[in-house]
Amino acid sequence: MADVVQVMSAEDPVRRLFTQDGTLTDDARTSLGLDREALRDLYRRMVVIRRADQEALNLQRQGQLGLWGQFLGQEAVHVGATLALRESDWIFPSYREFGMAMCRGVDPAEMLTLFRGHTHGAWDPKRYHFAPLAIPVATQVPHAVGFAMGCRLKQTDEAVLVTFGDGATSEGDWHEAMNFAGVFRSPVVFLCQNNFWAISVPLTRQTAGSIAERAEGYGFPGLRIDGNDILGVFAATRAAAERARRGDGPYLIEAVTYRMGAHTSSDDPTRYRQASEVEAWSRKDPIVRYGTWLKSKDLLDEKFENAVRQEADRVAIEMREKLARAVMPPAGDAMYGHVYERPSEPFLRERREFEASLEES
Amino acid sequence: MEATMAKALNLALRDSLAADPGTLIFGEDVGALGGVFRITDGLQKEFGDERVFDTPLAESAIIGVAVGLALRGFRPVPEIQFDGFIYPAFEQIVSHVAKYRNRSGIALPITIRVPFGGNIGAVEHHSESPEAYFAHTAGLKVVAPSTPGDAYGLLREAIADDDPVVFFEPKARYYLKDEIDQSTRVPIGKARVRREGTGATVIGYGPTVLTALQAAEAASKDDRSLEVIDLRSLSPLDMDTVMASVAKTHRAIVVHEAPVFCGFGAEVAACISHDAFDLLEAPVQRVGGLNTPYPPSRFEKLYLPDVDRILEAVDLVLAYG
Amino acid sequence: MADQTFNLPDLGEGLTEAQLMSWRVDEGARVEVNEPLCDVETAKAVVVIPSPFAGVIRKLHAKPGESVDVGAPLVTIESAQGPGEQSPDTLVGYGPGRGPESGIRRRPRTSAPAETATSDVRAAPFVRQLAKERGVDLAAVQGTGPGGRITRADVEAATTGPPQAEPVAALQAAAEPGVRRVSVVGLRKAIARQMVRSVSTIPQFTEFAIFDASALVEARARAKAIGRSATPLAYFVRAVAASVRAYPMLNSSWDEKTDEIVIKPEVNLGIAVNTEKGLLVPVLRKADSLDLAGIAQKSARLIEGARAGSLSPADMTGGTITLTNVGASGPVETGTPIINPPECCVVGFGAIKPRAMVVGGEVVARPGAWISISVDHRIVDGAMATEFLTDLVGRLEKIDD
Repeated sequence: MADVVQVMSAEDPVRRLFTQDGTLTDDARTSLGLDREALRDLYRRMVVIRRADQEALNLQRQGQLGLWGQFLGQEAVHVGATLALRESDWIFPSYREFGMAMCRGVDPAEMLTLFRGHTHGAWDPKRYHFAPLAIPVATQVPHAVGFAMGCRLKQTDEAVLVTFGDGATSEGDWHEAMNFAGVFRSPVVFLCQNNFWAISVPLTRQTAGSIAERAEGYGFPGLRIDGNDILGVFAATRAAAERARRGDGPYLIEAVTYRMGAHTSSDDPTRYRQASEVEAWSRKDPIVRYGTWLKSKDLLDEKFENAVRQEADRVAIEMREKLARAVMPPAGDAMYGHVYERPSEPFLRERREFEASLEES
Repeated sequence: MEATMAKALNLALRDSLAADPGTLIFGEDVGALGGVFRITDGLQKEFGDERVFDTPLAESAIIGVAVGLALRGFRPVPEIQFDGFIYPAFEQIVSHVAKYRNRSGIALPITIRVPFGGNIGAVEHHSESPEAYFAHTAGLKVVAPSTPGDAYGLLREAIADDDPVVFFEPKARYYLKDEIDQSTRVPIGKARVRREGTGATVIGYGPTVLTALQAAEAASKDDRSLEVIDLRSLSPLDMDTVMASVAKTHRAIVVHEAPVFCGFGAEVAACISHDAFDLLEAPVQRVGGLNTPYPPSRFEKLYLPDVDRILEAVDLVLAYG
Repeated sequence: MADQTFNLPDLGEGLTEAQLMSWRVDEGARVEVNEPLCDVETAKAVVVIPSPFAGVIRKLHAKPGESVDVGAPLVTIESAQGPGEQSPDTLVGYGPGRGPESGIRRRPRTSAPAETATSDVRAAPFVRQLAKERGVDLAAVQGTGPGGRITRADVEAATTGPPQAEPVAALQAAAEPGVRRVSVVGLRKAIARQMVRSVSTIPQFTEFAIFDASALVEARARAKAIGRSATPLAYFVRAVAASVRAYPMLNSSWDEKTDEIVIKPEVNLGIAVNTEKGLLVPVLRKADSLDLAGIAQKSARLIEGARAGSLSPADMTGGTITLTNVGASGPVETGTPIINPPECCVVGFGAIKPRAMVVGGEVVARPGAWISISVDHRIVDGAMATEFLTDLVGRLEKIDD
């Protein structure tokens, strides 16, 4: 028992940055160590990824993508958490983290080829330290923990971030992975994007308790924060990652945000949630809020806003044009080329037969 | 040297740990206890608790963290304690272990060890043969040795393989003794003719190979000559060896402990009838577990394929003239 | 400027149609890329469709309230954008043949498989193949296998002519330099199977004897003198037929299904004949009812026919015992013949030549030859085999006609 008490009573370097209700304290906000350019960069990135997100939805409506899952409203988490990490820290996303991927430098048009049906994985995870999508909910969480266990075994100072939604906290894999992380004191930051909806099922049907407080049961701290405050997300993630690097183990951040759009382009949220709820959350829009704060600090003017808007449009247009030119890989390679490192002769034989059955149409 | 299969597996793990510092062994009770079947006996003591370690009791996470460790550059060898406990890990194995390379280009050199099969008088969930679920899944390799020598050579090869391998250990044969050669590797995807014969081909893997050999011995007393093939590898499946035998005998019988319905024998039978339709003189017979849940242990002799049931199938295929 | 037609895409994972609710633009109006065109309702959701092109609306293809199929034209826009600048092709709903997305397909089936005549014949694939090779009509064969299935033995019994010996093709195996691999087909394969079946199913043993052929040689000389030449074979056949008559167990077969010995009423004597295509065994029917002249005449016809490939099916099947000759010329004296399943016995004769024999305590030169018999030990023990062989030798040494 003594060990457990000791861990829990250790000073929590994340919690001290926040007030009781999960708001970043003014002190913490002004002592982040981010200069003017870095602060403006956070804003710029949120605008750009939102524009790309909207363009992707347009492309789906125009028949260019099979599916799109918007992250509208969650930009503060995507940008704040990604930029709080070192580039060498791996991120394990679920399936809605294209804003994060863009912050890691993944080409958005290449990413979209996944939703165009060209590939199951549109980037090299090792190049961007950004794991492939994990579509089965919560299954990526133990991967991140295993990766973090590996970092600890290799005695590196890497931290690992894994992100998931509120629905994922109902899955067994989430609990098992949280437990492993606690037992092995793995350098992993669990980042829950609590956006209140798992397709049509509200948070109240996922859990009767607190997500953040569950961490305590697994032997490490958790904190619920305002996920629409980019500086809060940044500060919490950075502090949790630094704590992990020091060997103090995992941390759970519950970032409270809201899925402003539909679950995916195939979904109709008007069937299950009130317009008034969406309207209320739109007043907490992370980009508007951060813009207001930047203006209050004289860090945002019309000229910069215009430049950012133009950049966002340019990214969107380039993405659209590049996607239109995207060439599908050869069928044999797409289907057989990546299954095995050392494919067997029967497997290769089937591939040859398949390829021989193809013709140009 | 002569060794039991349990010892052969232990040596293979030991030699793999020694050969590659990235090799990690973990699971339930694999540390101080040395595994419930003692397959990991002494390994934690020799290689330390960072490379051989117990985990919380959670099969899905055992496999899930193996994925993460493999991504971080390790060569994980997780153990699932019993066949009937692999199901919580099914999603991780099928959705990620098998498919990760296909979506990312990153190979996962994971070897999942699973004791399987019955005939040990166990309680429920300790005698199952779930191999067909995994052989059905592209991206995995699935093997099941039947002798100590093959157990050693195949496990070394599985761990060294950069693709994920589900390694089924026939627990009823753990204490079978035979010569092993630590300098020998057994390639994945190669079956082995264990006994030559001309009248019919009996195909088994894991625990049923010995049963098939016993049946062949009994049949020889009736002047019936049976060829026995140990598949050793279910995926990839070495149909070349099977076909060479069927071309000679024109008759085939597949034997496994798993239920016959949708069992691995169905795949073998289908491949034979596809590749050798004109050679068959009798329909391919499947001898296996009944299409019931694995029964209470006092009934397992009635459920499992035995020498008599194999010989019945032999009678049937030979009755076709 | 070119007209670009925007077809209704699949808006959500396999939808096939949508209902147009309202247009947000009029014909003749100017639109920008992504400007909302219309609201449509699918089975899943109400969605706004943004324009994929910038330009002037030329035609709205549907009216509010109408249902539009996925892939059907929605709107035509006169646009400055060429097809190369924008992909006008939507992802799904157009079928194959358009745009870079559908540049490859599975080769369509070029011909329907031939109709296969169905029949009630029950026979394993291998047996059907064998029947095909041998020209046997399975519908006319009575099956003796399980459920009346036609077995390999049934086909062999019904073979309607000499097996089709196909040219033996020699293949150079690339992997084994210097090694020649000869693919085995037709008669060679049939012989191989028959011999494998013999040694793998029949426990057989062989006994040998030498007989004094003086009487036979003298009888031949007498016959020749009156213009009725007979080969030694005819004498052998007659003697074997007579001995088999005396020892009917040698004229039987072992029924594996019932573990019974099946004793045949007639002596149908197979005569092994070496032909260009391989070994054939024409059958001399009811050999025990023929006289020497009949034997000589009929066996000559069979041997000739075998070599010419002109025998009828009846001539090739139904043997109950086989006669073969071992070492007709050259230094070979005898050998161990292999039983021709499902028979019980095979008799091998060597060449007749002068041999040193002890007659009345003196070593003298006399014509003699080896006889070897191989018998099915399931049916016949050594004692009976010895009796049979003794009987046969006795008959050959006492030829007086």
